[in-house]
Amino acid sequence: MRLTLAYDRCVIFMAFALAACGPSQPNDAESNSLIYITNDVPAGLDYDGAASTVPNSQEGIVNLMDPLIDYAPGGANEEGVGLLNFTSFEGRLAESWSFDDATLTWTFNLRRGVLSCAGNELTADDVVYTFARAKSVSGPAPTGWFLASVASVESFDATVLADENKRSLGSEVTKVDDYTVQIRQSTHNQLFLPALTTFAIRIFDSVEAKKHATESDPWSHDYINNVTAPAFGPYCVERWDKGNEFVLRANPNYYRGAPNVERVVFKRVPQSSNRFIILRMEQADITKGLTPREFIKLKEYDQLQVVGVTGNESLFVHMNFDSPPFDQVKVRQAVAAALPYSWIIKNGYIGQAQIWNGLVPSSYPGGKSTFHDSPEGLDVARRKLVEAGYPDGRGLEVYEDALRLSYPIEKEATLGPIATAVRTALRDIGMPVELDPIPLTQYGDRQLVKKDLPFALNDQEKPIVVDAGYAVQLFFVSSEAGAVNNMINYRNPRVDDLWTEARAERDTERRYNLVTEIYQHLSNDVVWLPVVEYRTQWAARQGLQGFIWYPDNGIRFADLSYAQ
Amino acid sequence: MIWRFTLRRLAVGLVQLSVLIVAVFFLIRLLPADPVARFVGMNASPEAYALAEQSLGLDLPVTRQFEAFLFGEGNDGGGLFRGELGTSWVTGSSVNQEIRQYLPVTLELITLSFLIAVGLGVPIGVLGAVNPGGAADKGTLVYGLFAGSQPEFSWGIIFIFVFFVVLGIAPGPLGRLSPLTDPPDFVTGAITIDALLAGRVDIFLEALWYLSLPILTLSFVLSGPIIKMVRENVAQTMNADFMFYGQAAGLPRGVLARDALRAAFAPALTLIGILFGFMIGGAVLIESIFSISGLGQYAIRSILAFDYPAIQGVVLTISALTLLIYLAIDVCQALLDPRVSV
Repeated sequence: MRLTLAYDRCVIFMAFALAACGPSQPNDAESNSLIYITNDVPAGLDYDGAASTVPNSQEGIVNLMDPLIDYAPGGANEEGVGLLNFTSFEGRLAESWSFDDATLTWTFNLRRGVLSCAGNELTADDVVYTFARAKSVSGPAPTGWFLASVASVESFDATVLADENKRSLGSEVTKVDDYTVQIRQSTHNQLFLPALTTFAIRIFDSVEAKKHATESDPWSHDYINNVTAPAFGPYCVERWDKGNEFVLRANPNYYRGAPNVERVVFKRVPQSSNRFIILRMEQADITKGLTPREFIKLKEYDQLQVVGVTGNESLFVHMNFDSPPFDQVKVRQAVAAALPYSWIIKNGYIGQAQIWNGLVPSSYPGGKSTFHDSPEGLDVARRKLVEAGYPDGRGLEVYEDALRLSYPIEKEATLGPIATAVRTALRDIGMPVELDPIPLTQYGDRQLVKKDLPFALNDQEKPIVVDAGYAVQLFFVSSEAGAVNNMINYRNPRVDDLWTEARAERDTERRYNLVTEIYQHLSNDVVWLPVVEYRTQWAARQGLQGFIWYPDNGIRFADLSYAQ
Repeated sequence: MIWRFTLRRLAVGLVQLSVLIVAVFFLIRLLPADPVARFVGMNASPEAYALAEQSLGLDLPVTRQFEAFLFGEGNDGGGLFRGELGTSWVTGSSVNQEIRQYLPVTLELITLSFLIAVGLGVPIGVLGAVNPGGAADKGTLVYGLFAGSQPEFSWGIIFIFVFFVVLGIAPGPLGRLSPLTDPPDFVTGAITIDALLAGRVDIFLEALWYLSLPILTLSFVLSGPIIKMVRENVAQTMNADFMFYGQAAGLPRGVLARDALRAAFAPALTLIGILFGFMIGGAVLIESIFSISGLGQYAIRSILAFDYPAIQGVVLTISALTLLIYLAIDVCQALLDPRVSV
């Protein structure tokens, strides 16, 4: 007995001793550091690297690297979140630019005196290096090349991937002098400027990057993936412990003025419930990626704020045209009519969503649509099924495999209840739907590569180039017409023709009309079934201000400051 | 004799590891997903897919991939036989380097937890056995049932809620250090040791502070079976003839308990070894709940991303360590009881 008492005393003593030794709560406002708790930290910083598809990596990249141009400010929403004007651009690393219609050539005049984290000055060589690196397609996911090809930069086409001899830069990107660079397009394409604002094609500090090139890795992928992306952005990497922490220090040379927040610590906290309580206990300053219910709960605490925007995050139902019965428009219309939209908004997203009435985010220019204006409801759905030849779902049992509703198993917490509600509604009209949660990698493989996913919930497609036409090229033109990611195998020659016309159209108004006509076809054919647009939100300490929403949904920490 | 026994066990272990290498390599390639899809992302054109497949080496026949895994590509100095596990497809870093980073984190967590679990569990188990039916014995039974009644992640969540949220006397689940603290230079990867090597007692104490809840959770759960095993074994030994002889000879109870513990320790050692080996990969939920980036978290991330080199590296590392632990248990048992090595 004496022994147990001694142990007990020892344990209690140790606990108190540790508690006494424990550090005090961080007071970040005073130290001008900011703790950002996130589901993961960047896995790589090379936008041509494998990690570039991961949003956390993109968030790291946009805080280190600046683009030539970006969107101009576009006011703020009712919660004070800054918005962008997607029809107007302003210079970043480029001070001004012009376009020569006759030669399809853009001339960029670079800002002078811009210094990188390494102290090197921005010159035209850095821009040429960036495009040459993109064209080398030397990384496993050549996103730089891809977006340059979307922008119709001359000779950045698919032949580059197939032919090694076409991977070096020619005269399409040329240095005129130290502060002037020209980029030539192969055809008129209004996606050029929007593509330059994305997380890829941001400008490298070529002097520093070249220092880390090796014979086997001439474009310094290893260094950029594991140490830093040498560039001219607002922050520099101070420490990077992959899978744990990513620490940024303000670039003292930043040409737009040193950021207010001097140091940003990205701390990986994988569980959203943990991020919730850590922020609630004020041991961090900012987080995102909580569940809608957690965001609502945090609003109850005076010391915290939750702000957000209806940006470009959405949920739609994917129905594959190559998988009967989804090759029949009446079946797709029946699904569209049967879905419990109000239930999904109220219970799936706890009111933090709105019905998505189109196939383009409503925040994008040209994003207005009338998808859900037709009558909906179970009676309409049953009628559509009768018209399709499946009264009360009779005859659909032969399509058992196609009627398995897939969604990423990693998103069970958010998509699981919604999938169950969809199944219940469709069973009500006689469609024998079963649920099929599968791993995200398998989901991606079947959706993007094999394109054989028949029926799925999808909440991860966000056209990062802000343009309704870009979404057409990405998702809806046929593979024969150069589709990139037509995951539902939709083929409509009229849509292909309209996009070919719209893509090269110089007149903005006429292009807009062509794209609107395309979306009318897409809506009639129910190519995707848009369900809801849900809010992109951040929770932070009171006093932290300056949030601006960007299409990649990454936070720019240089925008933030503490209210005095 | 013991050397021959050790060498024999080592040879068996190597055969097991070889079979595992072949099995892991081919089995993960049978999984119903294509890792290339993850890397091509939005640019899923056939050309981009082919290029990505080529850059990952997945365009080669599977036997050729296996050859590259064992001997490296050309003369790149890689390959398993040279101790190289390849490059992670997700991070672009060397898998050796990543395991070197993550493994010590897990080892530190479970070693500290086991030290406390064994330090508490063994004496409590002995106490219960030498006073059967007494208060300590009953308390032990209740504690054992209580600790084993729920999985460790469940206790972890409860402890966070009680000690961090309600009482406010424990740190949040923020990993091994405050995010604002610069960690000591990497030497061993175990932050408590690295802090001491750097002469930073403040960081050492802070690391203990941040690790206190995960260690409490793990040691609480692990001590349950240890107490039960020690108690049962000591109780059985107390009924052995040599113990009756000791009692008849008038030996004090403390001496009897010590002798009983020594005789009962071999089975308990086996249990502790098995639990330790299991926890190297099995601490994943505790790591996840307390935001500790250890080997379990690395394994989960690699599996979800179908990062073949990383998955192979993790499985082989855990297997090799488990085999070594089992070997150490066998050797210890042979030393405690020479009949085992015959």
